[in-house]
Amino acid sequence: MRPILLSGHERALTQVKYNRDGDLIFSVSKDQQICVWFAHNGERLGTYHGHVGAIWTIDIDPTSTIMASGSADNTIRLWDIKTGKNLKTWEFPTAVKRVEFNEDGTKLLGVTEKRMGHLGTIVVLDIKVDVEAEQSDEKALTIVCDESKATVAGWSYLSKFIIAGHEDGSVSQYDAKSGDLLYNIAIHELDCPITDLQWSQDRTYFITASKDKSAKLVTAKDLEILKTYVSDTPLNSATITPKKDFVILGGGQAAMDVTRTSARQGKFEARFYHKIFEDEIGRVRGHFGPLNTVAAEPTGKGYCSGGEDGYVRVHQFDKGYFDFMYEVERERQNRLNQQQQSTA
Amino acid sequence: MAAQAKHDWADDEDLDETTQTTADLPPPQKINNKDGSTTIIEYRLNDNGQKVKTTRRIRFITHREVVNPRVAERKSWSKFGLSAKDGNGPAPDTTSVGENIIFKPSVNWRKDAKDEGKDPNAQAMKDKLKDKKVKCRICNGEHFTARCPYKDTMAPIGEAGAAADVAAGMGDDGAGEAAGVGAAGAGKKGSYVPPALRGNRAGGAAGESMGGSKYGERDDLATLRVTNVSEMAEEGELRDMFERFGRVTRVFLAKDRDTGLAKGFAFISFADRSDAVKACQKMDGWGFKHLILRVEFAKKTA
Repeated sequence: MRPILLSGHERALTQVKYNRDGDLIFSVSKDQQICVWFAHNGERLGTYHGHVGAIWTIDIDPTSTIMASGSADNTIRLWDIKTGKNLKTWEFPTAVKRVEFNEDGTKLLGVTEKRMGHLGTIVVLDIKVDVEAEQSDEKALTIVCDESKATVAGWSYLSKFIIAGHEDGSVSQYDAKSGDLLYNIAIHELDCPITDLQWSQDRTYFITASKDKSAKLVTAKDLEILKTYVSDTPLNSATITPKKDFVILGGGQAAMDVTRTSARQGKFEARFYHKIFEDEIGRVRGHFGPLNTVAAEPTGKGYCSGGEDGYVRVHQFDKGYFDFMYEVERERQNRLNQQQQSTA
Repeated sequence: MAAQAKHDWADDEDLDETTQTTADLPPPQKINNKDGSTTIIEYRLNDNGQKVKTTRRIRFITHREVVNPRVAERKSWSKFGLSAKDGNGPAPDTTSVGENIIFKPSVNWRKDAKDEGKDPNAQAMKDKLKDKKVKCRICNGEHFTARCPYKDTMAPIGEAGAAADVAAGMGDDGAGEAAGVGAAGAGKKGSYVPPALRGNRAGGAAGESMGGSKYGERDDLATLRVTNVSEMAEEGELRDMFERFGRVTRVFLAKDRDTGLAKGFAFISFADRSDAVKACQKMDGWGFKHLILRVEFAKKTA
């Protein structure tokens, strides 16, 4: 496969995201602008201007009409995807580290940083998925994380729970309506922050990435750890690929830690693991800095990664990727084929 | 170089002539074939003024792709922000295509990746050894001398014949030569010789794996020190370069343990000192992989 390199940013990427149909890629970085690209050829559709701080996070509503971004300038902004217009700005006392729409795009959660005497919070905003509509100023819900600040958060299936990943390596489950804490379970090593949390397509389970060099697949309903993927480098991001049962992990030695470690090679590769067998099945080289974010295309045909080096690399998988099967998977497939033939 | 030097501004006038002569060429032809393809025949003049006929057969295939209407609609959106002035298609300043990456998931990808790295060398070695039989020069068994169970208790058999046997056994002419010379001095056959005194013999074969410096000195008289060697250099390349001057008994290229890249210096031992002198003269200042080699005689280690 020949990756497409997108070089629209001047600083490290913080998040890349596909829209639901997989034809647009949104990328945000610390250089205060948002870029949107066509996934099939890497053409830049436009840029969104307004933020005056590093942008940490972005999310797109399911209909690809509006988009939300959270930034270190203490705002969440809502944008019209088509024209690049800033529709609404919410101010917060601290930086916003993560935003996410729920499944139907009617609610938006934002994770705010703990800083300057303010505790970390998760806020929920009501959203009208319409470019013309007046958005409400009021927060529908505020969850205060008094024990360990939340670093990432997301909506579970049916917007039933809000799942948050914390700085101390635990995940919590909150009731999405009342904001009550239901569970808090330490799944990663203590004080290794959870750096990413991405959902499966049906949002019944999610994958977390942590600085403790592992990624875990966890159920949304009771926070049960299903699988663990162990790597040899601190992880910044993890995603679940549709269509094939793989997960992609991204990470690498952070630039500030390089001098403190003996490893000369930075391990700046996207790692592919088999979702079920937990084996590492391959790596994709390319970035010359740690991978800060990876995103799988919702149709399963490719993935893209954003690195500390300021590049987004968009990959379309080859046939070999789709053909890969474990021996047991192949046997099962053969059996199914035979059964089909015998019934036909 | 000579051809370039000859080039003269006066020659440039010829170009005008050739452009004139293109008018004499037959016009391009287009033939529609029965099977739906088109044959295009074009004529042009190459750099030497010769007529070149290019025949191309082209078939146009309409590839239909079903796209989600929402996606299709978005493709027609007009650009905005910093991209507002960009034309259709990817702009070269923001979008480029990377080099091809071969990504094939595999359960034992780690092993595969390693094999791939080793492969060219391993294959070459295999070819070299194809018609050679492994033969121990101590007991004539089918194993390497270094692996011989009698290695420490017996001296090599047949002093004169040993050199030839060893050459076959090691698949490495140079090592055989050195070992052969050493065997002559090894003393009475069968009698026990402490390893420390067997040093000379060990120089080529067993000594290499045991760290030659401990067991007797190498013949530094015919050893060259090569510095300013490219990182990308391989031992085989150096051997090829230096073998032109005579039999090379040993090539040692210092490599980084972690990265596997060369550290920039190498030692080349010749069987014959006169060859080494010749090589030293010829190869000093030789350009190799973007760097200029410095070759000198190795100094004896203290």
